[in-house]
Amino acid sequence: MTQAASNAVSETDTTARGPLVLLLASALGWLVVSGLLAIIGTIQLQAPAFLSACSWLTYGHTQALQETVFVYGWAANAAFATAVWLLGKLGGASLRGLGLMKVGIAFWNLGLTIGLVAIILGDASAVPFLQMPAYVHPLLLVAYAAIATPGILAWTGRRQQATFATQWYAVAALFLFPWLYSVAQVMLLATPVRGVAQAAVEAWFAQNILTLWLVPTALAAAYYLVPKLTGRILSNYDFAPHGFWALLFFGAWTGTRHLLGGPLPAWVPTLGIVATLIVLFHYLIIALNLRAGLSLGKGDASLGFVAVGLIAYLLGGVLDAVFSFGTFAEKVQFTYFPVAQLKLALAGSYSFIVFGAIYYFAPRVTGIAWPSPGLIRAHFRLMLLGLVVTVVSLAAAGWSQGQGLLDPKMSFDAIAAATHPWLLAAIVGEGLTLLGTLVVLVHFIRLQVLAGCAGFCCSPVALEASAS
Amino acid sequence: MKNGPLLFLGLFAAFGLSWAGLALGTSLQLGSLAPYYDQLENRAFPERAPGIASRGKLVYQDLGCAACHTQEVRRAGFGSDTERKWGDRQSYARDYIHQDRLQLGLSRVGPDLTNVGGRLKTAGDVFKLLYHGTATMPAYSFLFDERPLHAEPSPKAVAVVDGHEIVPSARAEVLAAYLLNLKTPADYPVEKAVNTVVAKKEEAHK
Repeated sequence: MTQAASNAVSETDTTARGPLVLLLASALGWLVVSGLLAIIGTIQLQAPAFLSACSWLTYGHTQALQETVFVYGWAANAAFATAVWLLGKLGGASLRGLGLMKVGIAFWNLGLTIGLVAIILGDASAVPFLQMPAYVHPLLLVAYAAIATPGILAWTGRRQQATFATQWYAVAALFLFPWLYSVAQVMLLATPVRGVAQAAVEAWFAQNILTLWLVPTALAAAYYLVPKLTGRILSNYDFAPHGFWALLFFGAWTGTRHLLGGPLPAWVPTLGIVATLIVLFHYLIIALNLRAGLSLGKGDASLGFVAVGLIAYLLGGVLDAVFSFGTFAEKVQFTYFPVAQLKLALAGSYSFIVFGAIYYFAPRVTGIAWPSPGLIRAHFRLMLLGLVVTVVSLAAAGWSQGQGLLDPKMSFDAIAAATHPWLLAAIVGEGLTLLGTLVVLVHFIRLQVLAGCAGFCCSPVALEASAS
Repeated sequence: MKNGPLLFLGLFAAFGLSWAGLALGTSLQLGSLAPYYDQLENRAFPERAPGIASRGKLVYQDLGCAACHTQEVRRAGFGSDTERKWGDRQSYARDYIHQDRLQLGLSRVGPDLTNVGGRLKTAGDVFKLLYHGTATMPAYSFLFDERPLHAEPSPKAVAVVDGHEIVPSARAEVLAAYLLNLKTPADYPVEKAVNTVVAKKEEAHK
């Protein structure tokens, strides 16, 4: 970040400081917890006896906890902060409803904590991405309404009628999440649909947590940051609306591709596969629009994170399309390979782009630059190395596991033995990621302490130059 | 895009279409599936699980067993499910009509459990597996109680340690009942007829 950019603290930024800092602090705290759980879970896969005497930390619990903490702790809090900040910034006026937002944040994190305790106590719902029991979700939904209010008010009260791609994606994320979340609660928890129809609803919901909520949030940030940080206009921007609608209209159908070969009618997974191929059009437009942000070379620290996130996003899209075909799906279904793909999407594209946004707007929110460029670089390198090691080793473990599962003579002991070295590498990868998260958490705390001191002393903030 | 209401309408349409197509569509198609009544056996299939097995399913769900085990046999020619003898036939939607909370699973760190009730013969087999674990499955020792051994060990004891016998807890008992109840019926005429036609068509294409 340049000195000039850091100095550009607008009215919108400072008024939103309290709730946005609260959201970021919660997000980073939950990310540390998620990292710890990811390490424990991977160790349990590699050595099943690890913590096996602990009834509340079976692998099933660890996996459910990690998934929940990551999505509803880290990803959700960070998504709220990013979407609201972007809409406020582009709305051109001060954010309203911030008091309500603070209350919402407190209740969201309280609801999540109750949900996690319930999972530990054995009250998980066993629905992917909806593991917390039914009684927790209404609280989260109400809290969400309070958190999203400033974003919606900024959108409806914007000063200019013409809108930018960032706003479309951010508004889509804010509106689509509560619809998706409430429908899933009704169809899966309150009055569950019958039999295998649940599998179709689960697949639809799990995919759309990504496609209709987290991906639009990350792309909103990318569309904002790439032209800002590169100083270049977006190429082929006329195509951006097509990319936006292609994601929403076709991406929302892609989840059922995973159900190939199972008890559902053939049209269900086939629709998913066709939609996955059509969505490649969306990835093409993203690549065209944001290609200036794909450079990993010199530049702003935020841009480095965004570049890795975009590369992971495009790579993930191509992998989804290739491995949706029956020939390849047969080899990797029910293995660690889809876990690697999910990791690439969540820890890769989503987390990197959102970290890019956080590194950009946190100084603007607190009114002070990041204290240490070295810590930003350390975080970037640890997180990138952790991501590459984890994804590659899980993909290799999955491929090896898939080959073993296809051979009916190969025992599960032999399959496990073949995957052990790769799982060991995945543990190292998760460790590096956790280390990176601890670095950014410490750095964020330092930023807040410095900002607090600056505010207390009422002296002009000495903005240091941030990472190159 | 300048028109806010149009954007909102578009979002609603994108969401509503995928929901109607996938969530509602499958629900409408499969929601009316009825059990198959076998006149020769004078019974309807699939049968409802007995109460103890239903309680065991809650333990299965609580422990998160679906994180490592699936409960679906894929069609012949897709994977090696039938070659591994996880079932004589593929799983059909009709097999699951009595399940209020589906446990299909997403991962096969361990074997598929669709017909595990046919592979494990007695509750004793299940208890030994749960207590000792395997190279790929942890031991669930917390599902067992330790009590002083007075005379002969109980028939359900899985081990005797220092004058104490290890016996299954109530949770282990119901979990074993659930697992032993996991079996799919032989076949249903409707699905069998459809699959025979499809298999013949595929054969003709080869």
